[in-house]
This record gives sequence, C-alpha cells and structure tokens, in this order.
Amino acid sequence: MKQYIIRRVGYCFLSLFLLSVTIFFFVRVTGDPATLLVEPGASDADIAAIHHQFGLDRPLLVQYGLFMWSLAQGDLGQSFYYQVPVVQLYLDRLPNSLLLASVAMGLSLLIGIPSGILASVQVGGFWDSAGKMFALLGLSLPSFLVGLVLILVFSVYLGWLPSSGSGTALHLIMPAFALGWYFAASHMRMTRSSMLDVLGSEYIKLAKLKGLPQKLVIVKHAFKNALIPVLTLAGVNLVIMVNVAVVVETVFAWPGVGRLLFEGISFRDFPVVQGTVIMGGAMIVIVNLLVDILYAVIDPRIRLGS
Amino acid sequence: MSPSGSRKTAADAAGAGSSISRRDLLAAAALGLATAPALAPTIARAAAPQGQLTYGIHVSLAPTWFDPAETQGIITPYMVLYALHDAMVKALPGELQAPCLAEKFSASEDGLTHDFVIRSNAKFHDGSPVTAEDVKFSFERYHGAAHDVLKKNVAAIETPDPTHVRFKLKEPWPDFLTFYSSASGAGWIVPKKYVEKVGDDGFKKAPVGAGPYKFVSFTPGQELVLEAFEGYWRKTPAVKRLVMKVIPEESTRLAALKGGEIDIAYSIRGELAEEVTHTTGLSLKPVVLQAPNWLYFPEQWDPKSPWHDVRVRQAVNFAIDREGMNKALFLGYCKTTNSIVPYTFADYWQPPAAVYDPAKAQKLLAEAGHGGGFDAGLLYCDSSYSNMAEVSLNNLAAIGIRLKLQPIERAGFFGGYAAKKYAKGVIQGASAAFGNAATRMENFVVKGGSFAYGSYPDIDELFPKQADEMDPAKRAAILTKMQQLVYEKSIYAPIWQLGFLNAVGPRVGESSFDRISGFAYTAPFEDLTIKA
Repeated sequence: MKQYIIRRVGYCFLSLFLLSVTIFFFVRVTGDPATLLVEPGASDADIAAIHHQFGLDRPLLVQYGLFMWSLAQGDLGQSFYYQVPVVQLYLDRLPNSLLLASVAMGLSLLIGIPSGILASVQVGGFWDSAGKMFALLGLSLPSFLVGLVLILVFSVYLGWLPSSGSGTALHLIMPAFALGWYFAASHMRMTRSSMLDVLGSEYIKLAKLKGLPQKLVIVKHAFKNALIPVLTLAGVNLVIMVNVAVVVETVFAWPGVGRLLFEGISFRDFPVVQGTVIMGGAMIVIVNLLVDILYAVIDPRIRLGS
Repeated sequence: MSPSGSRKTAADAAGAGSSISRRDLLAAAALGLATAPALAPTIARAAAPQGQLTYGIHVSLAPTWFDPAETQGIITPYMVLYALHDAMVKALPGELQAPCLAEKFSASEDGLTHDFVIRSNAKFHDGSPVTAEDVKFSFERYHGAAHDVLKKNVAAIETPDPTHVRFKLKEPWPDFLTFYSSASGAGWIVPKKYVEKVGDDGFKKAPVGAGPYKFVSFTPGQELVLEAFEGYWRKTPAVKRLVMKVIPEESTRLAALKGGEIDIAYSIRGELAEEVTHTTGLSLKPVVLQAPNWLYFPEQWDPKSPWHDVRVRQAVNFAIDREGMNKALFLGYCKTTNSIVPYTFADYWQPPAAVYDPAKAQKLLAEAGHGGGFDAGLLYCDSSYSNMAEVSLNNLAAIGIRLKLQPIERAGFFGGYAAKKYAKGVIQGASAAFGNAATRMENFVVKGGSFAYGSYPDIDELFPKQADEMDPAKRAAILTKMQQLVYEKSIYAPIWQLGFLNAVGPRVGESSFDRISGFAYTAPFEDLTIKA
C-alpha cells in the first residue's frame, strides 16, 4: 500500500510538472503582453521598458527556471495587470468560485438525480423521453447562451433577478443554474444508467418477487447502490466547476477563479494564467489521488494488482 | 442598485445654489437669530454631494491605475485617475492644457525653465495641502511609459518655496508640457508624506489623491467605490458616491443598464448600441477618440511598385467610402478624417475633407498607367478591425486594386507593423498614442520613426527644425508644413477617428461624456449630476 501511494504521488508530481511546462510555454505562444499594456503605435522603447519590468527580456529557459523556483516556494508570481501576487488574487476569488460551484452542484444533483431515477423506472416512457431531451439540451446548449437567455428573461423582461455581480443570494441563482444545467444533464445520464444496472440485478428481482412495493425497492434498495458512481462523478465535477466556470463567471460578472483566468488570458497576464491553471490542475490531481487511494483501500485488487 | 433616495438628493445637488426657498428665508427671519445656527447646517447639507451613480465598466480595474507613477501609455487608467487624482496641468473641457493644481505656469524665453505656481486651495484627501515637495516627489517617483524621455530632458527640479516649482531642462524641449500634462502620469500629484509612510504597495491599496473623489474600497475584478471629496478646489462634486462595477460582457452591461442596476455603461457597440437608441430612457453617448485609422502604403518608396506613383495613392483616398463604412459599422459615430494626427492634438493642421469619388479614383489610376487595375498583394490589419478592412478592400476592388485580407491578432499585428514586416502590400494601421502633431510625425512619418517604412527628405529636414524652435507660432507653422506635405504626398489614406460608444440610464443628468476632446470616459467627475 505504501509503495502504491508513493507511486501515485510520484505520478501526481510528474503530471503537475508536465502541466507547468505546457502552460508556461503555451501561454507564451499567445503573444507579447507588453503590446496590450500600451496603446497601438507606442514606441519600441515603451515596449522594451515593459519587457524589462516583467523579466520578459530574459531567455525563456531562465524565465522558466525562475518560475519553477518560485513555484517550489509557493509563489505563483506577480500579476502583470493587477501588480499583486497571484496567490492573493487566486485566494480572493476562490471562495466565490467554491460558493458558485457548491450551489450549482446542489442544483445539478437536485435536478439530475430525481430525473435520472424517473427516466430509469419508465424506460421509453414520458419521463425517460423528457429526461433525454433535458440532458441533450443541457449538454449541447452553450452556457453563455443559457446565461444570456436567463438574463434577458429574469433581469430585463421580468426584473426579478440582478443581471450580474455578487453579494446576495439572488445574485447566485442565474449563474448557478447556467453552470449547473450542463452538469445536471451529466448527472441525470449517470443516474439513469447506474439505476438501470442496479434494477437489473438479482437482489432487486428478489426484492420484487418478495412483493415489496416498487417505491420501496427503488428508494431503499436500488437508489443507494446506484448513487455511488453518481457521487464519485459529482466529486470530480465539483472540482471542474470551480476551475472551468470561465464563461458563466464572465457573462454574469461573477468574481471567481474562472473569470480570473479569463482576465489573465485577455491581458496576456502570464503569471495569472500559469497560476490559475496550475492551481486548478493541482486540485484535480489531488482529488484523483484521494479517489485512487480510497479505491485501493476499498478494493485490494487495485493495490495488489498495481 | 441605485438608492431611491438619490433622486431627491439629486434635485438638491442639481440646484444647490437655489435650494433655499424664499419661505425658508422668511421663516428664518421671523424666528430671529436663534435659528441662524440651525439654518447654517441646512445650507451645508443642501450644497453637499448626494446620491449614487453606478458604472458598468468594460475592463477589469487594475490597482496600478490608482497610482499615477505607474501609468503606461494607454488611456484606460485615466478613467480612474481623473476621479482620484489631479494634475498640475491637464485637459479640461475646452482646454487641452488647463491649469489645475498649478494655478499658473510659464516657460522662460529660452525654453530651458518651466515655472509652476501651486493653487493655494489645492488639498489632498487627507486634508494636507499640495506642496512643491509633493510635485517634485511625484515627478521623481514616476516610472511609467514616458519615464525615459522625461528624465532625459529634465536636468533638475527646484522648489524655491512650498508653492513654487521650477523644472530646468537640459536643452529646449517644446514638448515638455505635452508630456508633463497629458502624455504621462508624471504631472499627477501624490502626497509625499503619505506615500513614504505606506509605501508603494500600501498606496495602491489605499490611494490618497487630490482629485474630486476619495477612495473608499476596491475589490479586484468586482468594483471600485469612491466618495466625493468636498474640499476639491475646482468645485464640490454633486454626486456623493460613485461605484464602478466591472461587467466584462457587453450584453450583460446593457441588461444591467436596462434593469436600472447601473447608470452608466462603457463600450456598447454595434447592434447593442442601436438597441440603446430604441430604448426609452436610455441614451447613447458617443465619444470620438484620439485614435485615427488609416491605410498605409509601405511600397511607396520602391520605384518599381505601382504605389510609388502619388496618383495611385491619391486614387485610394478617393476610393474609400468613409461615410458608408461609418454608418454601417459604427452608426455614423466615427469622425471621418484626412489626417493621421488627431484633431485634438496640439499643432494639428486641418486638411481638406476626404472625398468619396470612385470615378475620379479610376481616372487617377488610368493616368498612372494602371487603368486595368493591379494586384496589390495583402492588406494587413488588426483582426479586431477586419470589418473595416473588408470594406476598404471592397472599395479598392471596385476601382481595380485587388488585395487579399490578412487579419492578424492585435498584438501580433502591431508587433509586425513596428518590426517593418509588412513591407509589401497595404497596411490598415491606427494609433491612440498620446502626444501632439510632432510626436505623431516622429513615430509615423520621419526617418527612423517606429512605424515609418520610409521617409521623404523634405519632411525629414523640417523635423529637427520644429524640435529646436521655441516660438510656438513658428513651430506650429513648421508642423503645419509637415502635415501638408504628408497630405500632398498621400503617404497615408486616413479613414476616421474611432467612435467609442457608451450609454447612460434615465437617472443621469450630466454624464460628462465628450466634454474633454478625444477622452473616452466621463470627466470631469465633479461635473456629474443626477436628474431630479
């Protein structure tokens, strides 16, 4: 088990190292940030001064070495645009993203699980068709479109909800729904297929033969077991929600990590993009590591097989 | 959301001078002196700033914008600087170089000394007076885009007394005031004692300035809150509180404006701008920026190229349907021009208006021996403005000049433009850089200019002459001659100065848009009002 964990941790570091190399060099392909900090037509001297200020006049490998050295010390660098440490920016935005992701996750489970159950118990019926339609729309409609339609209806026409910003529960509703719908669809599909698996198993057939009411069979016997893969998926989705809500956070001016990433990309703020991606990647890697370890604890075949 | 109470207070603010009725005065007289102290605060309250205006800002606000020492060569930080800080000399309505914290300023005849006298009632938000030491400190502390050029030219700063500052130059430099007043943050004054106490980072977290609005709070990526500074020398602001909310998505900004969540929305373009004009209660506020766009012919110095013939370049000028393009793309709010120098710049020369005459263009082409047209290669442009380039391309195709569009991502385009990579074909360029006619000529026309792919000796000869000329009238005459030569030689085919479209809601009285020529945002902030 110890060896298994060490190996998994090693893989994690390797993944993060590869991620750091990829993002560091990839972000530099997007262009020169100095040209976005001056008006078009600025002199070469102005641009050179900015390069020097941000250390962009050094060789790439030196820049990467400095980046990794800072990273090893927990320093993600200083934002070109905001001129404050990236760690501080990230930690300021993280609670907002966690809040949005939690509410969106709650909504997605609230919608996805019951509709998945209904679809599974009436295969081919109305609820199954409705669920499939719901999932299809959720997975295929771009979240910016959902967001803009919500704003149009609930802010502009009805005037019920604020169109953007944060601070109250009302501000949360639309962005949480826009973000949650996609994941609700995915949770609905997972619940449906998981329920169908469980409903076809021998112990459920036995329960039915014993004459238990269908409601009891579904809620007490099938649902609990069907829930395990759904919750595993939800755990990973939660981390993804925190880190990839770029479009939703931008449309609703929600001050989260996703918008920070958007701002970083927009201004070619290399340290912000690098920091946000590394932190998001680290979260996903850590969650996966924990899941792997838990699986190994639960199932000896995994740790012994590896 | 704007507080409902602000409507009443706006009425007070708008009519501060007449808010005490005859009945009030009669009542006060009837009650005698005993009521006088009670009335006095009433007067103060009536004149005090009240209400709140909320902005929807299109970009994320950066703390570097709170510190004039860090201003780069872009206009965006001035969106905040005009509220928080004040300059010795800056642009105000109707005046490009208006005395602000400096009550008066003058230059010696030899152009080597510039004297500034500080206004006696100029104060910082912490109540301390603006002194000569603060002015000197602010200049020395400045390390923004124009740092090198300022340091290269300024020999020393003297402070003979607390209200008097003297800049001594190494040699006559007629552009000193341009750079000190508008093309840099060096002339925007910060309190020396406070900055030394809190440090540069502390200053960005809680800036103290001498502008009409005090800093209250800043949440990165979310909002900046400002409050009126009643001790501002020019006037007491009418609006008590300004909230600048960052709303990056244009449609969301418009929705927030429609829903009354914000009062002023920056940058509403295209179809959304058209929607503003059709929405009751909303008004579109277009501003013409100091950002001309043009077509440039980098092959004009190559005798083998068709572009070498001035008639071909003149033909392009006649072939472009500027007004049609303007109406189609910017609702007609750009200002068509025939110069690469913004009309707001000092020493701008007004050329004859650009004319759309495709028949004349074809005639000129035929005279130049290209009656059947010619393949002109690529039309390079910043991809953000490829819609403009498409129209130009079609206009030129109509007279037989065939180009292929080559849109390049903005930063890459300007990098390539400056690196002289687009030596063949045509370039659709632009510049929003600060300066005056001389700085524009320096960068885009004369030999060695950052964006000049070639030059003409007669123009080059004039450039050093204007730089040495200290008599403003004579200098203006030289710069005028240079601009005339640029026009006559058709070095460029200018198109327009870009229109920046904004929108305001029904609560806004004076929005302060377009009061300072070429400035994109609301200013002066102290002139903002809320409707009754």
